[in-house]
Amino acid sequence: MNKLRIYFAISSVVFLFVLAISPLKDFFSEWRGYQLAYNEIIKELPQRIQPVDIGIKQLWVRKLDVVDRCTTCHLGLKEKALVNAKEPFRSHPHIYHDFEEFGCTICHNGQGSATSYKESKGKVKYWDKPIFPREYMEASCGKCHKEQVVIQAPILSLGRKLINEYNCAGCHKLEGRQRQWVPSLNGIGSKVNRSWLVNWLKNPKAYFATAKMPNFQLSDDEANTIADFLMTFKSFSNNAILEPLPSLLIQSSESQTATLVEIGSTRLRESRCISCHPFNGKGGYVATDLGKVASKVNLRWLYNYIKNPKHFQPNVEMPRYRFNNNDLTGVVAYMNSEYVDFDMAEPPSHTPDPLYYEKGLVLVKKYNCRGCHEIENIKNSEELGPDLSFIGSKKLYEIDFGLSGISQSLSSYIFTKLKSPRTFSSKMKMPNYELSDEQAQAIAVALLGNTSEQIPEELKIKPKPASTFTPQGKFGKLVNDLACFGCHTMFGRGRLVATDLTLEASMAKQEWIDHYFKVPYSLRPILTERMPNLFLSDDEIKTLVDYMEKVFIADSLTNDILINEATVAKGKLLYSEKYGCGSCHQINGKGGFVGPTLDKVASRLQPGWILHWLKNPQAYKPESIEPNNNFTDHEAEAITAYLMTLH
Amino acid sequence: MKKIFDRLVRSQVWRSIFRHGLPESNRTRAEAIFFNFFFHLHPTKVRKRSIKFTYTWGLGGISFGLFIVLVITGALLMLYYRPSVPQAYGDMKDLQFVVSSGQFLRNMHRWAAHAMVAIVFLHMLRVFYTGSYRPPKEFNWVIGVILFVTTILLSYTGYLLPWDQLSFWGISVGTNMIRAMPFGIGEMISFLLLGGNIVGENALVRFYVLHCFIIPVAAILLMAIHFWRIRKDGGV
Repeated sequence: MNKLRIYFAISSVVFLFVLAISPLKDFFSEWRGYQLAYNEIIKELPQRIQPVDIGIKQLWVRKLDVVDRCTTCHLGLKEKALVNAKEPFRSHPHIYHDFEEFGCTICHNGQGSATSYKESKGKVKYWDKPIFPREYMEASCGKCHKEQVVIQAPILSLGRKLINEYNCAGCHKLEGRQRQWVPSLNGIGSKVNRSWLVNWLKNPKAYFATAKMPNFQLSDDEANTIADFLMTFKSFSNNAILEPLPSLLIQSSESQTATLVEIGSTRLRESRCISCHPFNGKGGYVATDLGKVASKVNLRWLYNYIKNPKHFQPNVEMPRYRFNNNDLTGVVAYMNSEYVDFDMAEPPSHTPDPLYYEKGLVLVKKYNCRGCHEIENIKNSEELGPDLSFIGSKKLYEIDFGLSGISQSLSSYIFTKLKSPRTFSSKMKMPNYELSDEQAQAIAVALLGNTSEQIPEELKIKPKPASTFTPQGKFGKLVNDLACFGCHTMFGRGRLVATDLTLEASMAKQEWIDHYFKVPYSLRPILTERMPNLFLSDDEIKTLVDYMEKVFIADSLTNDILINEATVAKGKLLYSEKYGCGSCHQINGKGGFVGPTLDKVASRLQPGWILHWLKNPQAYKPESIEPNNNFTDHEAEAITAYLMTLH
Repeated sequence: MKKIFDRLVRSQVWRSIFRHGLPESNRTRAEAIFFNFFFHLHPTKVRKRSIKFTYTWGLGGISFGLFIVLVITGALLMLYYRPSVPQAYGDMKDLQFVVSSGQFLRNMHRWAAHAMVAIVFLHMLRVFYTGSYRPPKEFNWVIGVILFVTTILLSYTGYLLPWDQLSFWGISVGTNMIRAMPFGIGEMISFLLLGGNIVGENALVRFYVLHCFIIPVAAILLMAIHFWRIRKDGGV
């Protein structure tokens, strides 16, 4: 009996001790140590910083329903004096958002409710959102910012651009990303030569490094079967028919050919194909490389295509040049003589499989060629690849890392998948885009931002709805025929390779526009893109200019200004002395190379435009690098008056 | 010293609480047991054999002790826990990270619950091996078996409350097993338990009420009868 009492006494003491441990653990908690250390550190600084009251701190973000206790230890986030302090006391880098308004975990992930280092980083069991690696941080911007370009997140914006460029939406469901135009394969049998097609299917980048088509890592057999299959597509959409080649191209004497080539070379330069098409890597970036085109397509197709591109590829953004027959023959002859791939490997001879059509069809469906290319009678297998709308919320247990041996995180999975798509299983179908590390990382950032997190609608920044500006009538037909939207933007629609034409008639004088269509030239000495000479007829030019004078104009920008000797002299002085405009602009061959030359600016620009432009250039072109000098009204008028004397 | 003690014993307050003298004779010793609420369940006489520790191992008493621990820690946990889908998991995290000794409370509740299931089971084994279920104690054995089931049900209903993946799937699997009962009974019971066909908000509230009120009250009533019968049958 006594023994029992002793046991009872001992166990009571043990239990009492155990009960005491818990409050002690609370008292000696990790964060208390950090807070005491913080109060010590700020004492040594020359600046006066408010010491912290010991206790757990938290940010409650009502609109996101989030409680983040990171500020319990990250105490110096708002203190500018602590820029170089050691973590966790360092101040937060300056960003657009106030962290007190949005909390921490909405951008950084991790476990916001935790109060210890390990738990808050979230790299613990049963927490599926560990803290984001720094190089993928911008993905978080993408959770709310759904617009195409987020200015303060360059990596995210690059990723979104690449996703569009590589047409990921062809196979994957991706919210807000549209499919790009890709050449239709109808009539490909009448267009390309089979050897080229086999080589291209095997490795598109071997033809040109900038080729956008990815490498499907096809075997020789697969490539041959698909080539045989595709070569059966001889007829074009809309029942377009190839005209025969002019006899001059088929049979001509050497001297005749030499003259043709001579004409073609001149016309090709005048029409500035190089503005859009690169030639062996040099030139524009809008269209495909033409450096070896004569080994790719047959002459008859080339002749017909240049004559009327949209007839054979209805949605292509290539202008129909108004060549006369002789010029066109010359251009084709020149291309045939110049742009040949002399090193093209002849693929090994191949006996077609008797079942090539059926097998080819299966392969084309398997690799979802239709995801990008239109092919007659083949339906798009919708969403062949996994849905990527919420890839950023994918759980680790849903991912098969295979034998890749990479670190098990979502970001490294996506990165590796993009870099070498078949790492995780050789049965996967995704082709290899041969992306650089930067590109793969940027795309991964853009994808990681696609999460299923509940973000309140009012916090989301949605992309602007696409402009539906469609000019009608004669002008509309011309714009379509000349593919103006391929380079120019009008009322929010189109590409911005060249200028925005929305206010063109307010900006430029009618006579100048008129003349520019006939002899286009570069306004800036250093500019690479150049307006092609489309060889338009006078009637066509009149249609274009008349429409522009009526529509591409804003009444608020018409101002007449007083030009007299005094203001001109004052303006000249301001131009050369006070504001040093000459460091960027040239007059009479003197000055900088960045801005447009101003030699004949009076015959080009409207005075009202110059005046408004000087006051606030970015109001008209947000990306303009012309500084806003905060001119007074008098100064702006004087400079305008001076510029208007330069005829 | 003795004077003060005597005055205390003779005072109105003392005598109103303890209505018998000091346990100095057989009569007053028996009265001390009769008139005390906490002792009144005791039999007036106990066999010496059954007081021996190795006869019962105190397993019933330990079970009851653990039940008390669970009631106390559970009541404290209820102060912080809200049984609703958006808040349940967060409240558990708050208990873990910011409530003073919150993690200790949770751990204590959890381990006491595990221990109680084990001890109650051992208690049942002991009763079986010592043959204590034999007449006239067979009714108390039946109550004991029901108490064992309530212990397990308490454990199971508590499993859902943290509202994490483990509990969600635990309850999903469990209720789907119930559905396997024939003649549509299974579906009925499962529907009744979950307040629907899937583990959701209704299920969470139902399991909370079962865990914190209905089953504990039933267990307390059964325990009262269980203890009373033990004393009447001459057990400790």
